[in-house]
Amino acid sequence: MKVFIYPTNSLILSDLVERFGHEPLAIMQEIGKKVRTPGLDSPPINITPEDPKFGLKYAAVEVPSGVRGRMSLFDSLIADAEAAIVVRDPVISFGCMGCARTNELVNFLVRAKKIPMLEVDYPESEEEAKEFVYKISGFLKSLGSRAGEEEA
Amino acid sequence: MNSTGNLVRIAQLSCGAEYSGIQAEIDSAVKQVNAVMVYPEVDIEDIENIEEEFGLKVASADLKLMMARAKSIVTGKVKVDAVFVATCFRCAEAAIVRSEVRRYLNEKTGIPVISYSFTERTTAGTLLTRMEALTTTARRKSLLAREEQTGLTAGIDSGSTTTKSVVMKDNRIIGKGWVPTIKVLESAEEAFNNALEEAGVKREDIQAIGTTGYGRFLVGEHFNADLIQEEITVNSKGAVYLAGKQKGSATVLDIGGMDNKAISVQDGIPGMFTMGGICAGASGRFLEMTAKRLGVKIDELGKLALKGNYQNVQMNSYCIVFGIQSLVNSLAAGSTPEDVAAAACHSVAEQLFEQQLQEIDVKEPVLMVGGTSLIEGLPKAVSELLKVKVIVPDNAQYIGAVGSALLASGFILK
Amino acid sequence: MDTITKMLVINSTTVLPSDVVIKLYESDADVSIKETCFGVMVTGERRIVNEVLNKIRRMDPYGIFIKERGLTPGEQFRCRATRRGGARPGFHNLEMEDKLLPHIGSALRALDKGEIPEKKKKTKKLDVDKLKEIIIQETEV
Repeated sequence: MKVFIYPTNSLILSDLVERFGHEPLAIMQEIGKKVRTPGLDSPPINITPEDPKFGLKYAAVEVPSGVRGRMSLFDSLIADAEAAIVVRDPVISFGCMGCARTNELVNFLVRAKKIPMLEVDYPESEEEAKEFVYKISGFLKSLGSRAGEEEA
Repeated sequence: MNSTGNLVRIAQLSCGAEYSGIQAEIDSAVKQVNAVMVYPEVDIEDIENIEEEFGLKVASADLKLMMARAKSIVTGKVKVDAVFVATCFRCAEAAIVRSEVRRYLNEKTGIPVISYSFTERTTAGTLLTRMEALTTTARRKSLLAREEQTGLTAGIDSGSTTTKSVVMKDNRIIGKGWVPTIKVLESAEEAFNNALEEAGVKREDIQAIGTTGYGRFLVGEHFNADLIQEEITVNSKGAVYLAGKQKGSATVLDIGGMDNKAISVQDGIPGMFTMGGICAGASGRFLEMTAKRLGVKIDELGKLALKGNYQNVQMNSYCIVFGIQSLVNSLAAGSTPEDVAAAACHSVAEQLFEQQLQEIDVKEPVLMVGGTSLIEGLPKAVSELLKVKVIVPDNAQYIGAVGSALLASGFILK
Repeated sequence: MDTITKMLVINSTTVLPSDVVIKLYESDADVSIKETCFGVMVTGERRIVNEVLNKIRRMDPYGIFIKERGLTPGEQFRCRATRRGGARPGFHNLEMEDKLLPHIGSALRALDKGEIPEKKKKTKKLDVDKLKEIIIQETEV
């Protein structure tokens, strides 16, 4: 299954989702697509003024351009999400995840999809980490195996 | 022009610029003024502790990063000549951080700072004037230290609405020209010729020329100017020179035909400044249209406003279309032209007050310059809003031309 | 061709980034490799990268963590060397998460052993009447 992760650039979540046999939907893939698109020339990550305009799909022009530009990156992740793992109160993360307003909107849109979802607290100790990993592995196992791999 | 000067290192403290798709525009503007953007180094501990140290808690991590980067500049971890602080337009959280970061840098370092809020429509062209002013302040401290005009020099201010020119000799204005801007070069020729004629000198006798305003590059090239400089630097200099306030702090306000400038000046050098230009309702154009609707000349509007009371007129909008409509409706409902004129001045002043003055530290003396400062109701309205005395120096409408002529005298070969 | 870059963050007591690099070269996979301060970056066709990294993960499943990276290695607009100054924003993220990796590693080990962790007790905000009581008690002293 395609599992949306939040924070969307998390190494740990991305790793766990893949480790337990699913496909993480992470923002890095979208950045990768942008920077590898030939012909675009808007360094550093090839977001052009067209992206905030595309973001009007999610928020009106009164919402800052940085939010709408980021929403354009999140667009296909939200559309493709079949399940989601959301970390409550994660450590601060920057760049694509650096804007609190965008994060609130992304979180809402994923919730609104009514897909299987796990919410976990960010661990602060080894004990909490054990619970964190245990819950995530349980959730991922409950989703079944990745589509297309069942026959293999 | 600035671009021939030494390389200036500008620190970029921003949130949302890349995601608005305008980083390339910022880089392009910076390149045109021969500067480079620097991203101050921070440690993860700096970011973790910054809210506590700075005393401002925010939800967005990129704003924390902005504060931490500002601290890197203050502690000397990174050496830069100037700072560009920019966040998304309409983001409340960012506007608070932007303003406080700017104030923090200004208080702790004295490094020139410019603050800007952008949208996806922000272009290199819009940023260029600001970057030019920022780098000039960093690069040309000695030129800006000039307090007296020497020799025989001229200044031409090619503005969006009017073109002004002065000829100066030994620290005195000896000739002036003021014409509406129709064709940039022809209007500049005309204003310059008028000034030369009044001064009774020939063009070839002029020892140095400075140009400023929207048409500065075109006009500067045409007259082979010694100095081509944006209006923030030039107007700051011109204002404190004309007002005799060259030492200490001052605030310069200029409501122009197309944009408004608010500049904090220290010893004649611009520190923090803002340039607003999003709404015509906050510009001199609004007053011009009001005068037209009232059937008076623009130079009569100010005196009319002095006799009126803005509170007698209900204005529902700042907009140049709907605001004017409000004024017309008030006239129909029995308001006097005096009250309407006062309301128009108040409306423009209020927008300057609401949108721009948060970005600078308003310190007295407050100097109003530019053509609109002669519309007496406007400085009065600003004075009422700020609760300070507003000074309009003599020849305030020639501010850019005088500043250019003054700075150009630094280029006379001895 | 779907080209991707994956980063391996190594937080292991037994495996060094250089060990991973050697193993990658030995695998003969058609990928390009860059050793970094936190691990290794591997670029190539998605299928090949995933295949080879599945094998690499086995070198220390509790000490090697993998995620995709958007930017290509050494991207000049992001690289510290060419960008004048600070790291790209994502680097600080990685630093933050790196601190937690030893705990995640031992949690994975515990999971494989079949340990069932204790549930964390949720604390609620103190009842206002209780707080009032405490205030009265404290101020009487």
